[in-house]
Amino acid sequence: MILGGCLARPGFSQISEVVAVTFFKRYLIPRLISYVLVIWLGITVVFFIPRLTPTDPVMRMIGEMRGRGSTMEPGTMDDIIADLTEMYGLEGSWLDQYWAFWGRLFRGDFGVSFFQFPTRVNQLIFTAMPWTLGLLLTTTVITTIFGNLIGGVAGYYARKGWSRTLDAVAMVVRPLPYYIFAFALLVIFAGLVVRWFPTAGGASLGALPTFTWSYIKDVLWHSTLPALSLSILGGAVTFQTMKLIVQNVNAESFVQYAKLGGVTESRIVGKYVIRNALLPQITGLALGLGQIFSGALITEIVFSYPGMGMLLYNAVIRGDYNLIMGITLFSIVGITTAILVVDLTYPLFDPRVRYY
Amino acid sequence: MKESRKKLTRREFLRSAAVFATAMAATACSTPTPQVIRETVEVEKEVTKIVEGTPVVEKVIETQVIEKVVTATPEPEAPKEEAPAVLGTFPRSETLIARQLTGRVGSPDNMNLWVGWKWQDRGLQNLADEPLWSVDFATGNIVNGLADGDPTYSADFIECTIPLRKGVAWNDGEPFTAADVVFTVETLMGFDGFGAHSFFVDNVASVTAVDDYTVKFVLNQPNSRFHTTFLDRWGCTRIMPKHIFEKEADPVQFTFNPYVGCGPYKLHSYDPQGFWTAWERREDWDKSPTGIMYGEPQPKYIILQAFDTEGAQILAQLQHQLDVAELSADGLKALLAQSKTSRAYQPTFPFVVNNDPCITGILFNTARPPFDNVDVRWALVLAIDIVEYTSIAVDSTGTLSPVHVPHLGPYPKDYIAPMQEWLKSFTIDVGDGETFAPYDPTASQRVADYARSRGYVFPDTPEFIEQAFGLGWYKYAPEIAEKLLVKNGFSKDADGKWLLPDGTPWRISFMHGTVLSNHDARNGAAAVQQWKKFGIEAEEYITAEGDGLGATGDFDVSGAWPAQEPWGAGPDLYRVLDRWNSAYKKPLGERTNGIYSRWSSDEMDAIIKELRETDPFNTEAVIAVGTKGLQEAVKNMPGVPTYGYIGFVGWDEYFWTNWPGSENAYNEPYTHWPNFKYFTPFLKATGK
Repeated sequence: MILGGCLARPGFSQISEVVAVTFFKRYLIPRLISYVLVIWLGITVVFFIPRLTPTDPVMRMIGEMRGRGSTMEPGTMDDIIADLTEMYGLEGSWLDQYWAFWGRLFRGDFGVSFFQFPTRVNQLIFTAMPWTLGLLLTTTVITTIFGNLIGGVAGYYARKGWSRTLDAVAMVVRPLPYYIFAFALLVIFAGLVVRWFPTAGGASLGALPTFTWSYIKDVLWHSTLPALSLSILGGAVTFQTMKLIVQNVNAESFVQYAKLGGVTESRIVGKYVIRNALLPQITGLALGLGQIFSGALITEIVFSYPGMGMLLYNAVIRGDYNLIMGITLFSIVGITTAILVVDLTYPLFDPRVRYY
Repeated sequence: MKESRKKLTRREFLRSAAVFATAMAATACSTPTPQVIRETVEVEKEVTKIVEGTPVVEKVIETQVIEKVVTATPEPEAPKEEAPAVLGTFPRSETLIARQLTGRVGSPDNMNLWVGWKWQDRGLQNLADEPLWSVDFATGNIVNGLADGDPTYSADFIECTIPLRKGVAWNDGEPFTAADVVFTVETLMGFDGFGAHSFFVDNVASVTAVDDYTVKFVLNQPNSRFHTTFLDRWGCTRIMPKHIFEKEADPVQFTFNPYVGCGPYKLHSYDPQGFWTAWERREDWDKSPTGIMYGEPQPKYIILQAFDTEGAQILAQLQHQLDVAELSADGLKALLAQSKTSRAYQPTFPFVVNNDPCITGILFNTARPPFDNVDVRWALVLAIDIVEYTSIAVDSTGTLSPVHVPHLGPYPKDYIAPMQEWLKSFTIDVGDGETFAPYDPTASQRVADYARSRGYVFPDTPEFIEQAFGLGWYKYAPEIAEKLLVKNGFSKDADGKWLLPDGTPWRISFMHGTVLSNHDARNGAAAVQQWKKFGIEAEEYITAEGDGLGATGDFDVSGAWPAQEPWGAGPDLYRVLDRWNSAYKKPLGERTNGIYSRWSSDEMDAIIKELRETDPFNTEAVIAVGTKGLQEAVKNMPGVPTYGYIGFVGWDEYFWTNWPGSENAYNEPYTHWPNFKYFTPFLKATGK
């Protein structure tokens, strides 16, 4: 199937062997090499860039402690700086730190967070990750399915009144700044107009994570507004993109020919139009899924919702190198893997794509 | 089948709508019937209560039944004020919810606050812990917590003996004794991962328990302020429970979860994501210093909750889901405009909390020309119209201070008021034999008059003007500023812009942080505007790296505090003056250990030495030396004090009342401060 059906045919064993070799040599291996190279390069860049910025994590920590009013004797400041530098593993040259980092990484250890010392980066990420995955995976899938489905049908029936109405609604919603839109939802549904949803948090005060229906219900209730804000704006974008692509495909001669040839409308929409329009949307979905690991910062800020976005934001502004590395590693691996998977699965969605 | 539903025509619809609207208008315009109602009202009365031998004036609320004639007003019906009886898993009427200042806790499982940053205002310092002493900047008192009184020093300040309070227990029931203090110090000295390790290694030769309730330190060198490491001012050396930490091989890595302290609250639960921490009143609260001193804390549960936006805080308080909000100036205005039950720290303008123990202002980098010249620094002060300045910075809500301590707690009485005559007589040399007295004792009144002219309403008594606006500041004298600059070789170009002595344009970069509602940025905006008006090309330089740039001296002028924050209680200014010690000063490019202005003088060094050799508990002597230090700072003006730090607190009175507002300032007002626990016994539940 992946190889365009050639391998499945009997009597073509020699050809299929050639095809397989060609696939591995010309397609899979170069992509795997570039996959590994991109990851290595991405990690290396992310390792050095924070160190090139003027942000000094040790001074950031001291500044934070001083700013919050903690007493710090001036005579002992130098000793504290030396202690923090040692504890954070920032002694030695950048190259020394770089090798030490790879050594830790191969053991699956990102080290300790500087700012949340001595908590390990792994622990911070794995605490935040389920919330981000839960929210963003759901909304991305919902947005993709409904945005593409409705957009596809609306694109095919572009002259109908309901299609134009939907387009007009999407046209109004799409350019709204996300922050304003999300905050408006909060004000309308959790504040001044009705109070159907909570104003902040991922779960109720006092509710501790348990695998019970009451806790799951509580989490769902808290995530409704964040999910709604992401789904509506994201869905509007997907809807409009898909609608435009479908309108273009719809104008292609093969579609017109199919209509004239008496092919049923449902078959034209499903097999001829939407399927041909899906390719760029699948690429978009893959990239979107890869970026999930960075979290949704503004959503987290507006709804005081837990997740990776705030973790990364705080890591960046405080120069928490290890935490930045930990989170971006997930993003780099996520995006490159998504691209690789898309590359390999294109023929499933578009039989015109071949590896040879 | 034929549809039998009758269709409404457009004309019929419009007719019906018009009839409906007329009926509604007639109902709304009908004369309401006056009626006599009986109403229960709450009346505030002041009573004096004796707490541990100290009279405390407290307002109590009594109920009275009155009759009055009222006329119903046909207002549109507002949504009923309602709040759920249970919030999450907590009974709301027994729970107090306050905003956590420092935001979401990054490592909620770790409560070992002797190592690194642990979001101590999540309830660790303000509910669960008791320090030896703490500062109450509202009353100007130092509160004895685990200590039973002041420390005593030997004549040579080599030995320090601390008496401890009897009858105190940790929240797991173990008694608190001198062994805990000794263990804490020895443990901090034994592991270099602790933040206070270096301090104790440098200072302490030995620590011993004289008996169960007395600790004696022998110091490596004389240090008359050694005990202040245990004085809680939003941070101090806290005492570890020996019976818990002694079981740990590596106390640096120990997570200390749940936190065990001597405070009146113990850990109930916390959000693994760090958004909230819930505390429950100890059953044996009477074994905490808070309980022993002030009685039973009223809220059974206290939750410290983090909010990422101000809007969420306001929404939460409007729904009675947040009792204490901390906002910006605009946020507080919005809250007060919309909430029927919220109040600010002050019941009238300026509303704000104006007794935080920090003085804000302008800091000059005196190691960089031309700010190394005192005439230039004074010229920049006199180019400021403080009325306009505070209007730009804080909408005229700031309390001015002409000296390098804020106008709060003991400082007006001990320093600012007694220094008035000296300030009035103080002159600067303008050149050509001319002198100028820069002090303006009417400056605060001018700020008040300006605020009133803009429609703000507030009492017009001298006491209120002093409390809200201060005792005075410096004159707006651009002509004198010009003389000072000309005297030093500055000139103006054809456009009236100032040139440096070498003829190049004078540009000032005012460095401040990225949060524009913070006071460094507010001072920056105001100063830049004032200096531009004076003809200097001033601009704001916004950076998140202010601390690093400040430490190495890579800036012109900044919005960092112009002087080290004072303790906020007691007359001792050693904490303020010592940062100008020349011993801490480093050349530009190296990280300085003193204040970032890098200013010092032989005179100030001598004053610091004299203060170090003065018994900190000899009030008269300490004030005399402290006054000399403030005078030396004013003469040299290495930083310009403008107004005291301002906070914007919104309290909801729906569930809890008797907050320590300005009219009843029995305690400092912040819930993130360590002294929050001390006002929990005075809060009153409304019973809703």
